[in-house]
Amino acid sequence: MLVYIVRRFAGMMVVMLLVAMVVFVIARVVPGDPAAVMLGSSATPEDIAALRGRLGLDEPLLTQFLLYLGQIVRFDLGESIFLNRPVVQALAERSELTALLTMMSVGIAMLIGVPIGILSAAKRGGLIDQTAVGLAMLAASIPSFWIGLTLIKYLAVDHAWFPVAGYGPPEADLMERMRHLVLPAIALGIPNSALILRFTRTSMLDVMSNDYVRTARAKGLPPLVVVLKHALRNAMIPILTVIGLTTAVMIAGAIVTETVFGLPGVGNLIVSAVLRRDYPVIQGALLVVSAIYVLINLTVDLLYAVVDPRVRY
Amino acid sequence: MTGITRRLFNIALGSAVAVGGLSTGILGTWTTPALAQQGGASVVTVATIGEPPTLDPVGTTSDLVSIITQHMFETLFTFDGDWKLAPLVASALPQVSADGRTYTIPLRSGVTFHDGSTVTVDDVVASLDHWTKASPRGKTVAPLVESITAKGSDAVVIALKEPFAPLTALLAMNNGAAAIVPKSVIDGPGALKSLVGTGPYKLLEHKPDQYIRLVRHDAYASPAGTPSGYAGSRKAVIGEVRFVPVPNAATRVSGVLAGQYQFADSLPAETLPRIKDAAGVKPVIVKPFGFPLMIMNTKTGVMANQKVRQAVLAALEPNDMLLAGLGDPAFVQAEGSIYAQGTPYYDAASAKPYADHAAGKAADLLKAAGYKGEPIRIMTSVQYEFLYKMSMVAQAQLEMAGFKVDLQVLDWATLLQRRGDDKGWDAFFTYHTFVPEPSLITVLNPSYPGWWDSPAKREALAAFNREMDPAARKAKWVTLQTLFYSEVPSVKVGEFYNLAASSDKLTGYTPTPWPFFWNTDLKS
Repeated sequence: MLVYIVRRFAGMMVVMLLVAMVVFVIARVVPGDPAAVMLGSSATPEDIAALRGRLGLDEPLLTQFLLYLGQIVRFDLGESIFLNRPVVQALAERSELTALLTMMSVGIAMLIGVPIGILSAAKRGGLIDQTAVGLAMLAASIPSFWIGLTLIKYLAVDHAWFPVAGYGPPEADLMERMRHLVLPAIALGIPNSALILRFTRTSMLDVMSNDYVRTARAKGLPPLVVVLKHALRNAMIPILTVIGLTTAVMIAGAIVTETVFGLPGVGNLIVSAVLRRDYPVIQGALLVVSAIYVLINLTVDLLYAVVDPRVRY
Repeated sequence: MTGITRRLFNIALGSAVAVGGLSTGILGTWTTPALAQQGGASVVTVATIGEPPTLDPVGTTSDLVSIITQHMFETLFTFDGDWKLAPLVASALPQVSADGRTYTIPLRSGVTFHDGSTVTVDDVVASLDHWTKASPRGKTVAPLVESITAKGSDAVVIALKEPFAPLTALLAMNNGAAAIVPKSVIDGPGALKSLVGTGPYKLLEHKPDQYIRLVRHDAYASPAGTPSGYAGSRKAVIGEVRFVPVPNAATRVSGVLAGQYQFADSLPAETLPRIKDAAGVKPVIVKPFGFPLMIMNTKTGVMANQKVRQAVLAALEPNDMLLAGLGDPAFVQAEGSIYAQGTPYYDAASAKPYADHAAGKAADLLKAAGYKGEPIRIMTSVQYEFLYKMSMVAQAQLEMAGFKVDLQVLDWATLLQRRGDDKGWDAFFTYHTFVPEPSLITVLNPSYPGWWDSPAKREALAAFNREMDPAARKAKWVTLQTLFYSEVPSVKVGEFYNLAASSDKLTGYTPTPWPFFWNTDLKS
């Protein structure tokens, strides 16, 4: 197991280096200029050229890339052009929101998707199954921004049960900041619950048609034990995979929801950086997000061995 | 329901209850501390269109930056409700020498910076010197400045190489601003070392993409006089003004309707009925606000031909473009005069070609120009949706008149970069916020993309800038506007107004293009 983990970490370093190179090249190849964005619409080409010089953007690309690689080796992601702070600090400031939002929305998605998926498989073809599958189709088809705007309209504007947007006032404590994440977490959780539901149902149906499940039933075991103990554990690998992927995607992929709810998360940071051509933030944030993706995948792979003793590394 | 179904149903129900319980717990305490804080009498929360690129008011002409920083930084002069010049850090309007080359500006005594120090004449000289090196506006003045010096301890003297009437207006602008800052925070032509000004509010905290907190500057020394526009006495009644970036317009609307924000800026015109019908909120329509422009490349390519540009003007139907862009006739006006009716530089007669459009006339002009169907590359951006919609209509109208149009839809950062290359485009869509002084209009700057710099325009602009007498200036402005419509460096699409929304509890607010919150209060 240890050898496997060490090997995966070595592979991760290679992936990170490739990501660093690709992101650097893509960020610079795309047209657009941070100096022009910073100076405003009235700026003349001369003003823009002068600011580019002060920001070091007029250096040859190779020089800029070597400087960037040197920073990465020292675990320094550089300084944001716009935010007036190190990229690491900008990411750290947004990590709490992104972590909480991811956990809450994945939690909601799992709490809805897994039990109903199991129930649906257990009652295959029945009314409950058909209703669940139909609702899952509906939930997967509705874009999260529409769910978000609808939740805002009815629960925040009409009834004032929740805040409309933002991550709380400066003096807000953790509980209050979490209140601001309830509606976005539901908006993100509902479409993802449909995915988890369908994977759970399919995986359970596969497992429940196996001989050992029939044997367990024939032994007279209670149905709940057959489903939850014998079938579910063996059906967990695909479910874990989709939960892992969902979690990874939400770290930087909740952009639309973050925009609708005015949340300063990591996704929002990346989009703003792209629009403003804040190269250090684009590069640093994508590098960190890629590392998290790889780590989540590694965690999911390791969890396979926990839920299924046949898996060995 | 069988045993397993019931048990699994119970598990699902339990999960739902757990989620609901979490939400209920959260919900149960929501209404007390958070609402009380956000609606508290001492904090006004303002939803803006996004995160400002910087909080340094000198180096950028961004409107969003100036909306926030005008609370922190002050200039020597400002504008009153009639867009006339008024003193701010200065104690009076400048004394101008008979030859129009020397401006003596008396300073108010007892003005303090946010760090507690008193403004000295050296700070003012250093600030003005910094402005000529760091500000896009100051740089246009720099070649004309002979010297900036102190006169005793309470006045500065700006000596010019030649008369330049717009100087005082440039010194009064709140973006690309000649902000008065301590000499110690100036660090060459780059950004200020720290954000210390003399305004009624000072910076407490800036969390990018989350909030900017400005708190009352207790030692603020206000100018005298009845408040009018940006001029007159300023009182920071509200303890804290909090600017929150909310890029999604629908969220800004919902937030102000729900009472989370006391003011929301730049809202879609179609939300006006919703705001009107809502309790506790009122719409704010800002007139004048701005004008969309189709800027043409007068330097290189097919648009360098004046007749082709005249054909563009003849081909475009501004009403259609305005309605497509903004949707509601209450927010637009087909106005050709660069300055709208009711402002000092309004002139309808010289803007007559604006309304003189016909596809047939455009086709004749194209024929006379020798146009051979070269594609007209028009850049536009969906980031400003109203401009994008206008450009779509323009494309159709131009094609009807015989143009071949290559509409290039770009993101705004790409457009800003590409427009610097005169070989890469023929026209682009942008908008201009209202500016009180005509010489501040970007199209008149020969360095601004579009590069309008004909000998006649150069001469007319120089004469306008030399003229100190207001009545004579108006006549010279009419000459410039006449040239604008004969040489057609750009097409002014018309006037558009800004919709904002304000809580009923916010009192004393004056609608302006750059909303400010001194002299406002919150009813409890």
